[in-house]
Amino acid sequence: MEFIPLTEPVLLILLSLAGQPRHGYSILKDVEQMSDGRVVLSTGTLYGALRRLLDEEWIERIKEEESPRGRQAYRLTSQGRRNLQLEVGRMKNLTRLANLRIATKEA
Amino acid sequence: MFSLKLYRHALRLYPASHRDEFGEEMFLVFRELHAETAARGLRTHLRLCARETAGVFVGALREHWRLLGGDRFSQLFSTRRFTMHTEFRFPKATAVLMTIILGGVILAIQKGEAISASLRGAVVPPIGPIHPVHSVFVGGILLGFVFFYAAALIGWTILFAMRRSGLHRLDETVGKQ
Repeated sequence: MEFIPLTEPVLLILLSLAGQPRHGYSILKDVEQMSDGRVVLSTGTLYGALRRLLDEEWIERIKEEESPRGRQAYRLTSQGRRNLQLEVGRMKNLTRLANLRIATKEA
Repeated sequence: MFSLKLYRHALRLYPASHRDEFGEEMFLVFRELHAETAARGLRTHLRLCARETAGVFVGALREHWRLLGGDRFSQLFSTRRFTMHTEFRFPKATAVLMTIILGGVILAIQKGEAISASLRGAVVPPIGPIHPVHSVFVGGILLGFVFFYAAALIGWTILFAMRRSGLHRLDETVGKQ
């Protein structure tokens, strides 16, 4: 699949799942915390994104033994992790370039 | 709990496939959020309800659009807001929107005519002669709109018929050989 820059909510969802598997509520709270309250996802937005990520096999469901009925946990697949690394690499390059340009301008 | 019931009903806006797969899970998450914000005051709770209502409406619309064939995963990741689709697709939403706009234009013209008819009897200060260009102008806009609407509809019908016939798939077959 051709790699295209991710939108911020999707990037934050993937980052949330990068550390550990999470269920929906936990993802929402983690995204809010990571963005210092700037990005607050609704359940509609979250599950729309999760459905797409599942379709593209960037994430997968995992069975939890002691979870209540209907509650699912998600984790990154190896493809999802690879794509997340690509995105972070792209952002690193962009940040480095931005710092260089800003430093040149200030000098 | 009214908002919980309302949310449960709002989930019916989603296509059945999405509802079956995620409906219960979405409701459980909303219930957790509901319990959390209920303790933090009415304002926070109302904010949650507003956000969730908007989220469900937009999400349901997006899912229906996807089922109609209008969604691509790339749109989610695309930085461009508007993208051209490469496949033939009958743009139902555009046709409906154009019909609504056409209806609106016709209604506005009718209302304008009704207002001018009601003013004929009333004593109004003279505003000078109306240039024929003014009356032709409105009719011209309407005619132009109808013309473009008809042309677009014919064009889309042709594309739609081509798509249904599978003509555009010939290229794919040739490419695979």
